Amino acid sequence: MSGFPLRRPRAAASPRRLRTAVPAVLAALSLTALAACSGGSSSDVPGGAKPAGEDVAKKADVAPDSTILPNSTMAKIKARGYLIVGGSQDAPLWSQLNPISGKTDGFDAEMGRLLAKYIIGKPEVKIVSSATETREALLQNGTVDVVFQTYTITPKRAEQVAFAGPYYSSGQAILVKKGAGGIKVPADLNGKTVIAGANTPAIAAIKQVAPDAKVVTFGSDPECVTALRQGRGDAYVQDQALLVADVKQNPDTTVVGEPFTADPYGIGLGHDDVAFKTFVNDWLRKIGQDGSWQAIWKQTLGTVVEGNPPTPPAIGGVPGS
Amino acid sequence: MDVVLRHLSAFTDGITTTLELTALSFAGALLIGVVVAALRVSPVAALRGVGTVYVETFQNTPLLVLLVLFVFGLPEVGVIFPLFTTAVIVIALYEAAYIAEAVRSGINTVSIGQAEAARALGLTFGQSLRLVILPQALRGVVQPIGNIFIALTMNTSLAAAVGVVELTSAANRVNLLEAQPIPVFVGAGLGYMVICAVAGLLTGVIERKVAIVR
Repeated sequence: MSGFPLRRPRAAASPRRLRTAVPAVLAALSLTALAACSGGSSSDVPGGAKPAGEDVAKKADVAPDSTILPNSTMAKIKARGYLIVGGSQDAPLWSQLNPISGKTDGFDAEMGRLLAKYIIGKPEVKIVSSATETREALLQNGTVDVVFQTYTITPKRAEQVAFAGPYYSSGQAILVKKGAGGIKVPADLNGKTVIAGANTPAIAAIKQVAPDAKVVTFGSDPECVTALRQGRGDAYVQDQALLVADVKQNPDTTVVGEPFTADPYGIGLGHDDVAFKTFVNDWLRKIGQDGSWQAIWKQTLGTVVEGNPPTPPAIGGVPGS
Repeated sequence: MDVVLRHLSAFTDGITTTLELTALSFAGALLIGVVVAALRVSPVAALRGVGTVYVETFQNTPLLVLLVLFVFGLPEVGVIFPLFTTAVIVIALYEAAYIAEAVRSGINTVSIGQAEAARALGLTFGQSLRLVILPQALRGVVQPIGNIFIALTMNTSLAAAVGVVELTSAANRVNLLEAQPIPVFVGAGLGYMVICAVAGLLTGVIERKVAIVR
């Protein structure tokens, strides 16, 4: 036992070499792990494949100059040259960044581009992401012009922000593993562990139909589905359109019954901006009539939901709008 | 601020979970950290190598990546722990790397004469480390370890991303109902501040208590 190296001997050069080798090994390891996680081919991202890729925003109408009132929010956006949207980059079918094209695809994303085209004349949009936690604050302090983010209109929220619309009526549904009995109606969720997306309307919806359910939340839809398949919960509650897409990718899961809530999605606006709200509502009526709304529905949600586009909901038809 | 008061039970539940997460993972980190530090000064080259690989692995990987890998990766190979347990294990493993480095720096401040004297008395390596070196080394690194504790407390908020309903996640849920992010997150922030301020004060007290007067 010579040299009792309580201090590391200077001669030992191997740890130094390790310093560079270890991160490389780790990187390789994590890559294999990631590859193992993402079973299935990567090409079938829901909403990624568009039928006959026509660009709706290209043909869409532009607002007549008379409606862009001087000193209004619309005039400000037009002068700036792009629309700032509070939205997501990770919601399949609604607003998801396509890493190949660099474009954000989905119903909400297309709505944003359509509105930008209407105000400015070109579909220029900048999406401010991670807005779920802070979208009310972002609208109040003017960081974003509008919020397109599966933003359910509620009277509580309407005290903080204004809502144009609703522009879509959705519902929460229940996804379970195929062959797992025991959950037939929403009340069956009582006493079960239920997975939900963090910051989604599902959390409140579950509490309402099954107060004794234990809610576990994950950040994104793929994480929630993985958690369900790995047995971290008995059911997953999410917007029905999203669940339909999930079933396509994961045939070992199935949607139980029909949606059990009605979630009117609205466009979040600054609270006291009456002129802008009227303007956006007029635009919503217009795209509902000229078929652009239906066209983008077909390109996004329509890729997984069967049948013809639904009728757009009546503007101002829910409390809070 | 009445938003926070209206949902006080959600916040206190969140703080309780945060405290449990912090306490358990800190205890684990301290234990693993001291062992890894001992490995890094051991006379056996292979053990030194293991210690070095451990520290470099966990110090150079983001905690969130580790959490996601453990929560979603392990079940793929058939190992499934509850979410809270997984979070405790991952945070303990991660912070242990930092504790190990703090303890090692403490060991390096103990004069070599102490080790030589221990050897002259016939103590084995393990005995001299346990009875002579570590007690002195740990006393010198109370403040750095206190800092790691504070960082660990903040890091527990990442567990919100993998489904643990601690303070951050609780605040998120309240905000979803109330739509008032500023008071809600200021409230959560104050919660973390109180925990960390208390930890900081305690660290000072402990440091003064155990300081070696030379």
